[in-house]
Amino acid sequence: MAKIAIVTDSNSGITQKQGEELGIFVLPMPFMINEVTFFEDISLSQEEFYSKLKSGADVVTSQPAPANVKKLWDSILINYDEIVHIPMSSGLSSSCESASLLAKDYGGKVQVVDNLRISVVQEQSVRDALQLIGAGKNAAQIKEILEADKYNCSIYIMLDTLYYLKKGGRITPAAAVLGTVLKIKPVLQIQGDKLDAFAKARTVKQGKNIMINAISLDMQNRFGGISDENVRLHIAHTERAAEAEQLKAELSGIFPGIAINADRLSLSVACHIGPGALAIACSKKLAVAKN
Amino acid sequence: MGNNTIDARLLSRMFLAGAKKLEASKEWINELNVFPVPDGDTGTNMTLTIMAAAKEVAAMEDADMLTICKAISSGSLRGARGNSGVILSQLFRGFTKVVRDHDEITIPILTDALDKAVETAYKAVMKPKEGTILTVSRGGAEKARALMEEGTEDMAYFLGEIIKYSEEVLSKTPEMLPVLKQAGVVDSGGQGLLEVLKGAYDIFLGKELDLTISEARPAITSQSLDAKADMDIKFGYCTEFIIMLTRNFNIKQEMDYKAYLESIGDSIVVVTDDDVVKVHVHTNDPGLAIQKSLKFGALSNIKIDNMRLEHQETLFKKTPNAPAAAPGKPVTAKPAAELPRKEVGFIAVSAGAGINEIFTGLGVDCLIEGGQTMNPSTEDMMNAISCVNADHVFILPNNKNIILAANQAKMLVKDKNVIVLPTKTVPQGITAVINYVADQGIEENTQNMNEEIAKVKTGQVTYAVRDTNIEDKEIKQGDYMGIGDAGILSVGRDVAEVTYQMIADIASDANELISIYYGEDIAEADAEKLKQKVAVNFPSHDVELQFGGQPIYYYIVSVE
Repeated sequence: MAKIAIVTDSNSGITQKQGEELGIFVLPMPFMINEVTFFEDISLSQEEFYSKLKSGADVVTSQPAPANVKKLWDSILINYDEIVHIPMSSGLSSSCESASLLAKDYGGKVQVVDNLRISVVQEQSVRDALQLIGAGKNAAQIKEILEADKYNCSIYIMLDTLYYLKKGGRITPAAAVLGTVLKIKPVLQIQGDKLDAFAKARTVKQGKNIMINAISLDMQNRFGGISDENVRLHIAHTERAAEAEQLKAELSGIFPGIAINADRLSLSVACHIGPGALAIACSKKLAVAKN
Repeated sequence: MGNNTIDARLLSRMFLAGAKKLEASKEWINELNVFPVPDGDTGTNMTLTIMAAAKEVAAMEDADMLTICKAISSGSLRGARGNSGVILSQLFRGFTKVVRDHDEITIPILTDALDKAVETAYKAVMKPKEGTILTVSRGGAEKARALMEEGTEDMAYFLGEIIKYSEEVLSKTPEMLPVLKQAGVVDSGGQGLLEVLKGAYDIFLGKELDLTISEARPAITSQSLDAKADMDIKFGYCTEFIIMLTRNFNIKQEMDYKAYLESIGDSIVVVTDDDVVKVHVHTNDPGLAIQKSLKFGALSNIKIDNMRLEHQETLFKKTPNAPAAAPGKPVTAKPAAELPRKEVGFIAVSAGAGINEIFTGLGVDCLIEGGQTMNPSTEDMMNAISCVNADHVFILPNNKNIILAANQAKMLVKDKNVIVLPTKTVPQGITAVINYVADQGIEENTQNMNEEIAKVKTGQVTYAVRDTNIEDKEIKQGDYMGIGDAGILSVGRDVAEVTYQMIADIASDANELISIYYGEDIAEADAEKLKQKVAVNFPSHDVELQFGGQPIYYYIVSVE
């Protein structure tokens, strides 16, 4: 049986350390901060990142340099037969497109998965891929299964401020005027390839309710029902660890029996939405991943 | 026995006399308002409505019946303000629909016309209420039919009996509406209608009356406007410019910058958009604003106007023929034609610099100044709609006395889909816009916004303009009153205490947000004190304080 390696990028929220534990490879995303390049989780910690972001530094995300990607793949292929490469959503970055181009030179040994995932649901794809390897699938089959499953997830994020979204030009000018006087907490959604406005809340409680209702509807209508059989819940945050834990407790009460993991949101998302954000995501469990 | 028919010339003179009679009784009708609040007075609204038509009628010489009817109908429809004004305009619309096809109005024609008038007016109101102008008009129409069927041929007797009977119905309105009885008044709209009928009847009887219609708006309006305009100019220079950022301008710096502008002026708008900041401030020292701004980058599009001088100019230019610079005038950045057509636009009726800024900040395209001090007319609404270059236009009337005029504008506009969201208060309007979601369809949004509006409880604090007794509360002129969605909640001599009591009355554990908008006559420090008190006593709520800058209402509070 072919020996298969999994590669993802740090957008998945998987740290270098967690990557080692899972037995996968995590490509660090580069950041340009005041025109100096840093690598997530290598030369840039979460704390450093937020302190720079809040000081008003110019933070720009970038895609991994093709040379670095190639170097990583080449080193992996010394010990492995195939690679499943799971980059961040092609709708949000061109990482996927460049990786796909590079992969052409590897004669099918490297399978780049274009499944529009980001953050906690990208992490879920990595875990799904590990299960698929365990089930004896090859790299090309894993790519096909994960891509067929791409829309079976959704993410809702409540922001503390619109400042960073405005700064990064990620929302339309009309929406950007929002909240100049009133304290408004926008709730955004990520469905595959797009970051979109979903609703607006006046209070944290209201924002949480909006997200919980939306997730609940998605589970019922899109993911086959609210049960641990069908779905997995995720909570992610930017500098809101305590609130995330509290939300986790609330969700466990509302959706008993469903596994929930809480994690920090990856920095490439954080730099667009800023500190103070709270997110709930849901992904449908792969049929093969059931056991 | 005299004339038993009414021709075009007589009808036009009767209409003008009715308008004059209503105008003369305006102040007295205003006093019949049940709530002793200083706003949206029935007499003023009905007078402005009929005067809009009277001006058109007066300008005609030897016009035929059809032309006069058109003038009465379209003039009053467009000029309609307030609920009573809208109903009056619908009465005229129905009436003229029947008589316009005849050169001479006979008793049977008049009877049909009155029926049509009543039918049309009832249709215009979603939930017709008895004990109002509607009941009075229906009484008159029913009497007319009875007289006609009895074979009455004497027009003077016919008209006289209708008026007599309408007066009887009016005198019974307190029995139909308990609020009227408690306040010891008859319905003001019904009284207004009766004044119109009486004026018309005087002419029919051959009284010599002065029928010149002055072009200026009624004195009370322009006076209050001028007083307001003078009072508003605390800071003399309207200063606008754009900063092209070359230095950092993060949230903290933006807040500090705004705080600085607040220390030297008011009416501040700072909009940051990528690397430019648009600034608008009224200040007595534009130099300070410019110096401060230069620290962040280069300035462009600098415009400084001396508002005191310009104000003098507008006052000077105001001839008897020119309408006063009115509330109700749409305020928008650019004429619609210069803006690209978009799918959805918003219009809000708003009063106060702070409230205006909130609506603009939420993406409202066009504001109509008005609400408390003045109900905008149907025509004001139509002008605003024409300013918004969008396929679908949402209107937020933000006052229960403006919703009908907005609905009337919706009927008259053909080239755009106008949706009137029945917001009765400013906070309801704010909640409506916040809940608009760009991706969703018009119907889904309309439904969603309507649901959210219903969740907003509002309280507003103003003063009593006269002594009265309402809902068993003894109110003295000058008292502060906290008015909720269903009536008066608190009365007293201390504005903060009255506001606090009102909030305590409407807040409940099911709610989570209390928003307080303080008006132009309240000092920020006092508002802050009230906010602290509310925050301490309602710990499960978020309490937000905003500058509203609204006139008349010291505080507007919402609980949701």
